[in-house]
This record gives sequence, C-alpha cells and structure tokens, in this order.
Amino acid sequence: MEALLQLLFNGLSVGAVYALFALGYTLVFSVLGVINFAHGAIFTLGAYFTYFLIGGAVGANGLMAGLQLPFALPFWLALPLAGLGAAAVALVLERIAFRPLRDRGSDPLLALITSLGAGVILVNLIQLLVGAESYSIPVETLESLPVALSIAGAKVRTVQVMLLAIAGLLLAALSIWIDGSRSGKALQAVSEDPITAQLLGINSGRMIQIAFGISGFLAGVAGGLVGLSVSIAGPYFGIGYGLKGLGVLVLGGLGSVPGAVLGGLIIGLAEACVPAELSGYKDAVSFGFLFLVLLIRPQGLLGRPQANKV
Amino acid sequence: MNGPQAPLLELRNLVVRYGSITALHGINLTVQAGELVTLLGANGAGKSTTLRAISGLIHPAGGEIFWHGGLINRLRTERTVKLGISHCPEGRRVLSRQSVADNLALGAWLRRDKAAIASDLERCYALFPRLAERRSQLAGSLSGGEQQMLAISRSLMARPTLLMLDEPSLGLAPRLVAEVMAALAQLHRDGLTILLVEQNAQAALTIADRGLVLEAGSISAAGRAEQLLADDSLQASYLGAN
Repeated sequence: MEALLQLLFNGLSVGAVYALFALGYTLVFSVLGVINFAHGAIFTLGAYFTYFLIGGAVGANGLMAGLQLPFALPFWLALPLAGLGAAAVALVLERIAFRPLRDRGSDPLLALITSLGAGVILVNLIQLLVGAESYSIPVETLESLPVALSIAGAKVRTVQVMLLAIAGLLLAALSIWIDGSRSGKALQAVSEDPITAQLLGINSGRMIQIAFGISGFLAGVAGGLVGLSVSIAGPYFGIGYGLKGLGVLVLGGLGSVPGAVLGGLIIGLAEACVPAELSGYKDAVSFGFLFLVLLIRPQGLLGRPQANKV
Repeated sequence: MNGPQAPLLELRNLVVRYGSITALHGINLTVQAGELVTLLGANGAGKSTTLRAISGLIHPAGGEIFWHGGLINRLRTERTVKLGISHCPEGRRVLSRQSVADNLALGAWLRRDKAAIASDLERCYALFPRLAERRSQLAGSLSGGEQQMLAISRSLMARPTLLMLDEPSLGLAPRLVAEVMAALAQLHRDGLTILLVEQNAQAALTIADRGLVLEAGSISAAGRAEQLLADDSLQASYLGAN
C-alpha cells in the first residue's frame, strides 16, 4: 500500500511537470498553429533564474564565473520571479523569432525553424555565460519545511508535494481563465478563427503575446520546480523535458488543454512504474506507450479528429 | 477632415491587388449616414474585397478610403471596429466551439458600457427570437440560418455606425432569406447605415436605397434601387435570374 502510494506520488509529480510543459506548447500552438521549439530552453532558463535568485553562485566556467547576486530570496519568492523572467524571455522570443515572420505573412511552418534556432542560441548562451556544469538548488531553501512528509504511511518528499500542488494550482487557474474570462474566450476566438477575431476587434497580436507570456511563465516555474526536485543538469537539461512535453502534447491531443494535463499525468505515472534497476528504459516506456496510443487514436486521447481546413 | 458634410464612408479610386492580380481597378463609392447601399455582382467581381479593404483586413494598393472625411487606408482591423465599422464576413464564421451567448459577448469586445451591452443583447434576442432560445447552445450546433442570425447579431453587438454584410443570404432557404432581409430592413428603418454585399440582387434591391454593380473589379452600373430593379438589361446581364 505504502509503496503504491509512493509510486503514485512519484508519477503524479513528474507528470504534473510534463503537463505544465505541454500546456505551454498548447497555448502557443492554439493561437499560432505551430510548436515553439524554444520552449525547452525557456524551461531551462527558469531553472537557472531560480538558482540565482535564491543566491546561488556561478561555477568556475563561463563568462559569469563566480558571480552571485548580493541578496538571496526565499524559494517561494524566487520561483514566481523566475517564472516572470522566463515569461519576459518568451516575449522577446515572440518579438524576434515569430512576429517578423507573421508580419510578412510567411508560412507558419517557418516559425518552427526559427524557434528551433532560437532555442539552440539560448542554450548556447547559457553555456557561454554559466558553463555546462550542473547546479543544484539545495532543499534548505525551503527553510522550515521538513524534507519529507508522511502521508498515509508513505514517505513522500516535500518537494514532490509542492510540485504537485503548485502545478495543480497553475493548471486550475489557467483553465478557469481560458473558459471563464472574457480575455480567455478572446484567446479561444483567435485560436478558432483569427480573421473573425480581428473583425470582432480582438487584437490577435496582443493575444499571441499573452499566450507566449503565460507559456513562458509556466515553463519557468516548471524549470524552477524540477531544479529543486532533481537538480539543474546543465544547459541542455530542458531538451529532454521538451521532447517528453511534445510526446505528452501528442498523446493528449494537440491543442487540447485537458488533454495536455491528462497526457502529462499518464506519462508521469507510466514512467514511475518502471522499476529502479531498469530506469534507463524510462523514455522507451513512455514513448512506446505514446506509439501504442497513437496507433489506436491518431488524434490523441482528447484531441479532435483533424478536419481539412478549407 | 472635410467637415460635417463629408459622407460617412467614401471610397475614391480604390485599387486592391492580391499579389500580381488586381481585384479592384479603382472603384468609387459613397455611403451617406442612414443609407442602405447594396453592392451586387457575380462571384469574383470584387465585392468581398471591397469590404475587406474597408475593414482593414487587406490594405489597398491605391486610392483612398475616407471615414467621416478622414483617411483610414492603412488602419488595422481592430481600429476600424473601434471607429464603428462592423464587418459581418462571408460564410458566417461563428465561433463554433463557443456558446451563442459567448459569441455575442465577444461581439462587444471593445465596449465597456455594461448596461448598454445588456440592452443591445436583449435587442438582438428580440430581433431574432430563435437566438434567445438557443443562447447556451454551442454556435456550431446551430442551423445555417441561425448561424447567419448569430453572425449579424454579433456584428450588431459592436454597436456599429456602419454595418457591412457579406452575402448574408448565401446558402439559406428562401424563407430564411426573407427573414434575414426583413431584419436588415428593420435595422435600416431604425437608422442604421448598412453596406450589403449580395449575389441575390432581387432580395437586396428590394430593401436597399441604392445599388452598385461590380463587374471584374470595376463598377459597371449604379443607381436607385427601384431603377436597377426595373432595368431589364441589367437584370439579364449581371443580376441573373435569382
């Protein structure tokens, strides 16, 4: 029983990160119709931002070697600020890698390439500035919180509970905003029919910025949480999560918000079921699972069957 | 600005191109406040293009668009909506995954006057009672006629000075065409200025004050609606039997 509960928590907390990740993709995809391949780099940045804001020092490599902020913020403050920092970078990215193409009326697929390029540049910039070593966010930043909690007999790391709670909160807030607010409905309008949205007076450029901002914030927070839970394994560590996030996106159904959440939790749980001695095969399990689902439901679990656009 | 005597809308020598194809070869058109003007013509004559240029979906390659005497050639669509131009597009284009009420609420996106929005909503429901019955239904589940009523109502929710409609009769059964035209005539009587693009010339001219015929991107005929209706050669050559 305890082991099962532990497994459940492991799976759900990892799955929640995947869900945050996939939601970031989904938001941008829903308004632009393209995947933002720089999303993984934004996630990585969020992790580094968190690390610096809690007062972490840069290692011996990179141009910023030895630098450290003159202050150290508590984790609960550093995390949302890191999210905002990531959102700011996502907005800059939209401005330089996406908007010029849109203004010129180019094929949306071209944005795929520019975002891929922008992601590579960001990752290399990180490496240039802070080196390729891994950093860890010490659990002590949680101050008075205990390292582990006991829930129904199972020992669960506090970090995992936090991860699950914060991700759940963000996901709930996001879906309330999308379905319950005027601007959320305007975002849906841009997603369904950009021309009509314009004719209603909706500034689609502004809605696209909002989507990028929120998606960047989600990625940044996810990055900070993973940094705390696992460690920041160098500038490239977002790429693996990025790929997993893409898998989640496809599994849940492209463009579906509940699909992204469901897909994230399923893949997280599937990975948690892989026994420790076979942990090298985790990715094979999750992508194999994705492959099987797609054989049966090509549109993903909660996706709409693709209609041909006229 | 040309002062208060300037027409509500004026197109002067308007040229629109799609790449190397010229869709409008310098057309002139004026709409006075309170008028119902209809723009007729066959498929591909440039009717929709004219509306798209006015609402800023496409920017003209030449000529001028004046609104109350001020040049609005290069305004973005949101800005033209703000000025009071509401464009109800061809093919209805309702937001199929949102409810009737949400579609209408988004029609008032740029407005903040809550009380007036609520009263306009009631007016739309009074104009098309069937929308009131289906207010919480998804717009995609409505029939073609109901979707057209929704599209018109949604445009009205912007409380426009000028309502531009692109083929509201398209694909509708004759009874529904009559119902939609009657609603437009009602709006016109209440003082709304309307620019109506139609292929169904008979139906449009019956409710219009004036009409213009577009042919291959140029205006080939214009006049009072009664004159155009009575003109047999026009009926035969451009307006077809429908």
